Amino acid sequence: MVKKFDVIVIGAGPSGSTAAYTLAKKGFDVLLLERGRVPGSKNMFGGKVYVSPLKEIYDDFEKYAPIHRWVTCEKISLFSKEDYISIEYKGAKSVSFTTFLTQLSNWMARRAQDEGATLLTEITVDGIYLEDGVAKGVIATGNRVEADVVIDAEGINRLILESAGIVKKPSPSQVALGIKEVIKLSTESINEEFCLNDDEGLAWIMIGDVTGNIPGGAFLYTQKEAISLGLVLILDVAIRAINEHVSRYVERLRTHRLLRRLFEKGTIVEYSAHLIPEDIVRLKPPSYYYDGLLITGDAAGFLLNLGYTYRGVDYAAYSGYLAGLTYEKAHAEGRFDKSTLSYYGKLLYDSFIMRNLKKFKDVHVLMRNPRIFREYPQLFTEFARTIFKAEYDSEKIMSAFSNAKKGKVSWFSLIKDFISLIRRL
Amino acid sequence: MSVKMLRIEDLLNSNVWDVDYEPHIKVDYEKCEKCKAKPCIVLCPAGCFTEMGGKVLYSYEGCLECGTCRIICPYNAIEWKYPVSGRGIHFRFG
Repeated sequence: MVKKFDVIVIGAGPSGSTAAYTLAKKGFDVLLLERGRVPGSKNMFGGKVYVSPLKEIYDDFEKYAPIHRWVTCEKISLFSKEDYISIEYKGAKSVSFTTFLTQLSNWMARRAQDEGATLLTEITVDGIYLEDGVAKGVIATGNRVEADVVIDAEGINRLILESAGIVKKPSPSQVALGIKEVIKLSTESINEEFCLNDDEGLAWIMIGDVTGNIPGGAFLYTQKEAISLGLVLILDVAIRAINEHVSRYVERLRTHRLLRRLFEKGTIVEYSAHLIPEDIVRLKPPSYYYDGLLITGDAAGFLLNLGYTYRGVDYAAYSGYLAGLTYEKAHAEGRFDKSTLSYYGKLLYDSFIMRNLKKFKDVHVLMRNPRIFREYPQLFTEFARTIFKAEYDSEKIMSAFSNAKKGKVSWFSLIKDFISLIRRL
Repeated sequence: MSVKMLRIEDLLNSNVWDVDYEPHIKVDYEKCEKCKAKPCIVLCPAGCFTEMGGKVLYSYEGCLECGTCRIICPYNAIEWKYPVSGRGIHFRFG
């Protein structure tokens, strides 16, 4: 007779490990299953994590978590072929930090273990074990393991939920592709190049020519002794627009005339890729809870992409935490059916996760406006070039803008796009 | 010092894998042959798909397990699963 667990969590990423930590800390018997060799070895992200939701969940998070640098400098730039224009923000107390996701997931899973969760690695779950449509456990490597509740934190590739018939394979319009190079550099070089102190970090989002004008963006984050440099490409547009291998796009970014100096002394130590939830309305499963089943993290589509910032890890972790709280309540009631577990939905909708995902549900529409990724970066850089690079005669701002606008966008499109932007973002 | 663009093979060289004995990618050639666009060739970040004589050749060893191929294939010709037993890509940074 195989032992039955209170909860089985599929996937030791940020959401699964946090769910396991939350439950184990409350004294429940949790089995955390991870397909990688160690927790985190299949995880990948850009580089930045928002701290407040994590501090709420983990005791002494700031003291023990693998925090590389506190993001003190936020920068967004629009790139044309030859130049770029930026907005940089510095000043207020940092609310986010840079790290490597492999380290953070690993740390979270260790915390879950410290609280008594059972972690098994190198286990690829084959499917959810269903009895009359009720999740009763999982099937992994041919064995059946039972639990009151299964928490599906399998990530963006929902092979398990697909095989259970809960979700369909996403279409290319629902996801984006993230590709990243980790470039090792000394702490001193990073501090010098980006004007940072040891514990200060930079989050830099670039839009325009850096993605070959494909909707999405490029990112640069500074870790302690490395830079994470990469691209996010909206997949359905990329299919039509891409004209050479996608790795060339990342390499063109790294060797960009205006950026390459930053990486000259660096060594590429990892090249990774991952899918990112994009159209969160269409990607979301029909429900976040079923009889005996809760869905968290990327699998639920919990990621906020505002174009100038990405939030995924804190959303994932917090959804795992809420799934943990839901089980606690269901356990007290002794029922694990869909209506009891609907408490998870209530918690989600009362939390910042659904508040923000609802507020920004149409942002992905902007990602399909080609002008944002080609004409506007060209317009604003040309405008800046005109006013800053006046050799003798200076241009008035309005005439510099009108000239830069000429042949790129009409006033009508400009106003339309502006309204569209402020409505959605 | 000049910075040169690296080939995909050189980029992949920085990674660590524990390659599975069994391929976790399978292509259904009956469906694949109908495809003219072949987006897998340019969009698989690991370059697992190449074209030779009009036919798509594939390998699974360098797969980064992003799952892009199975989503972009217009003919649903790619069957992509996770490697088992901890095999496949092993991110050290992520």
